[in-house]
Amino acid sequence: MTLSTTKLRSSTLSALALGAGIALMTAGCSAQTSGDGTSSAPTSDAGPVAGGTLVYASGDAEPTCLDPHVGGNYPQALISTQYLESLVSKNTAGEIIPWLATTWTEDADGLGWEFALRDDVTFTDGTPFDAAAVAANIAHLKDPNTASSTGYLAVGKVKEVVAVDDHTVRLELSTPDSALLDSLSQPWVAIESPTALKRSQEENCASPVGTGPFIVDTWVKQDKVALVQNKDYNSPPADAGHTGAALIDRIEWRFIPDSASRYAALQAGQVDVIDNAQPDTIAAAADKNGIAELNAPRPGAANRIELNSSKAPFDDVKVREAFIRAAIVNDGINSLFFGTAERSYSLLSSVEALGLSTPEYFDTDLAQANNLLDAAGWAEHDADGYRVKGGERLSLTFPVSTNQSIPAEQSLFQQIQATVKAAGFEVVLEPMDLSSWYGALAAHEYNLVSAPYTKVGPDVLRILYHSASITPAPSGYFANLAQVNDPEVDALLDEASQVTDPAKRAELYENAQRLVLSQFYVLPLYDQQNHYLHSTAVQGLRAMPTVSTPTFYDVWLDR
Amino acid sequence: MKSKLRPGEIVAIATLALLAVAAIAPGLLSTLDPLGIDPGQAFRPPSAGHWFGTDESGRDIYTRVIHGARASLIIGVVATVIGIGLALLLGVAAGIGGRGTDFALTRVSEVLFALPGLLLALVFIAIAGPGIATSTIAVGLATAPGYARIIRSQVRAIRGAPYVEAAIVLGRAPGHRLTRTILPNAIAPVFVLATLGVGQAIVWASSLSYLGLGAVPPAAEWGAMLAAGRTYIGTAWWMTVFPGIAIVLAAGAATALGRSLQNRTRQVNR
Repeated sequence: MTLSTTKLRSSTLSALALGAGIALMTAGCSAQTSGDGTSSAPTSDAGPVAGGTLVYASGDAEPTCLDPHVGGNYPQALISTQYLESLVSKNTAGEIIPWLATTWTEDADGLGWEFALRDDVTFTDGTPFDAAAVAANIAHLKDPNTASSTGYLAVGKVKEVVAVDDHTVRLELSTPDSALLDSLSQPWVAIESPTALKRSQEENCASPVGTGPFIVDTWVKQDKVALVQNKDYNSPPADAGHTGAALIDRIEWRFIPDSASRYAALQAGQVDVIDNAQPDTIAAAADKNGIAELNAPRPGAANRIELNSSKAPFDDVKVREAFIRAAIVNDGINSLFFGTAERSYSLLSSVEALGLSTPEYFDTDLAQANNLLDAAGWAEHDADGYRVKGGERLSLTFPVSTNQSIPAEQSLFQQIQATVKAAGFEVVLEPMDLSSWYGALAAHEYNLVSAPYTKVGPDVLRILYHSASITPAPSGYFANLAQVNDPEVDALLDEASQVTDPAKRAELYENAQRLVLSQFYVLPLYDQQNHYLHSTAVQGLRAMPTVSTPTFYDVWLDR
Repeated sequence: MKSKLRPGEIVAIATLALLAVAAIAPGLLSTLDPLGIDPGQAFRPPSAGHWFGTDESGRDIYTRVIHGARASLIIGVVATVIGIGLALLLGVAAGIGGRGTDFALTRVSEVLFALPGLLLALVFIAIAGPGIATSTIAVGLATAPGYARIIRSQVRAIRGAPYVEAAIVLGRAPGHRLTRTILPNAIAPVFVLATLGVGQAIVWASSLSYLGLGAVPPAAEWGAMLAAGRTYIGTAWWMTVFPGIAIVLAAGAATALGRSLQNRTRQVNR
């Protein structure tokens, strides 16, 4: 008897202590603002100083592999930006600029590209960077054993890689690719040491070797990755702030999935930079000294809910339209995001110049939703108020990746769940971790899903809505989650990815977007939110204009 | 049970009675919908309109706390029933069985003791998958070894008592001895334990929901509400404080009542 009472008491106490601990962590830090939007404002007159360790806390899932060729998701891009480099990059004006490649030319027929490579760059394992290294990397991406998804799609049209000489490489394409340079600028197509790639995948995942300003030192799983400065670094992209080695000695890359703890750690000075800052904390941080914000919306697709059209009930366009007409989104965005996010009516991120915004397809109209469902045969209601057809409830499974959806977004999904109930839809929200979520998608156990997809340029449309993307990539992931299978969309996207005339390309992409939007495959929500909060001691932080990952190459610590 | 109720006991009983009302007829205490959203009223602090404030979707937290009582009390009671039911089987078998049975069952429960109870529950959920039903069973399973050990020692102690020997001398059949002589005497302390156990089970069940392994959002469940509010603890303290108070009150009242029952039965036994 004594035993069980003591146990009870200690568990009650620990629950109390936990609550009190959290309260203490978050309360009582008195700081004030300098959240200034896109970059950190220097607060000191002293010039950059070298040295020091920067602690980064990521709210994204810990990658299972540090080589972004394998799979290819945003958490991998975030960290690999620090130690891997691509052939080209992008500047803030959206122009492609030199990086590991210095110049490039396209054949008149668009079927071949020639890149001149830097001849003075060495991988951090001593292997020289040359044309053979580029060939080995593209071969690695295309190798089914690599199980690449993002990088695999990016180089999908590359048929053959020819080393013209040591520092000139030719890419032979199967069809012209107007998005090739955009694709090659991405971190998922970064160039790694061919010597290191020859190791087992397990080894290469633990310590990929590149040409970047930092080197993967150690990786303590479930805890942190330690990155150390590459002292011989000489290959910054053309838009970097300085040359030579990075200024800080070391980066500790931590994983703190809980957003309140992450922000508390930043306030307490235990970490210097956090990603995935939550709307309420961004609003709170705006009033604090010592904390600044970096807002860098991601390119590619907007955050959106995709309606799986490959199976009932969303194989019927009327049911899809009914769902979209019944879902009330704007009120939730206004209250949950504290003004940090704006409603999107587009498939593409607002940073993509060719995005088409069509608010007319997304007016909420409950009466119309009800009419559409009646017309689609979902005319009866069961005792709980949900519609039924042939004894089957109008029920939608919605697996939610808690690693990829911030709490505000998960709350928004709950609000959508509540609002579509009025039309008779049952939405079953299933919060799960990333690997279970991939499993649910692979098994087609979803009617609704929200998956971020980051890619440079409008070619992301081809990846997300071309019927070819219904077939899983070697990683098992298929990007066409709405299962759009429309020959007309395919034809428009195929042509757009090949034409070189910018006006024609823009027109084709517009038509393709209108077609997908008008068929109600997608409910756009807002740009992919990408807010960083950092201590004002962190100077010189910027996000890469490619996929908006932060780079610590120019950063110095003003402590 | 002749002494008068002490003030502490009255408070505990009143709290549990209030929770019972909330669990059985939540409509008496609040007429709002616990799942009804109103984004325009999100993050409102406690006021006359919303006594405990509103959450991130504008749901009334007072209403959700009231409706949460049902889930928490049902999980607490059912889990305890499962735990004690299992423990009775194991404990009685070990208590009246031969040396071999006793040895085997005691070792099994000692192995289970080696794992902290909540960990045992987590293991079960990892295998069976999250949800209210599995978390209830998990908590029941996790508490069983503790009860089983106490029941076993009760049964063994009573087995050698003079009145059991008297029953043997009188020629009562073994089944009759078990159900009429041993069990009624062994079971009394179990009721006391059960009252204490309900409080413990409520805390554990809330913990599991807090970890995302029990009730699924947006269900009105105290642990799940704590978890949802934690994100906003810096800006909307009321989202965590009120469900937290509810858990403390429920668990505290059940424990206080169990303790006083324990003391009273001890006095009676003396």
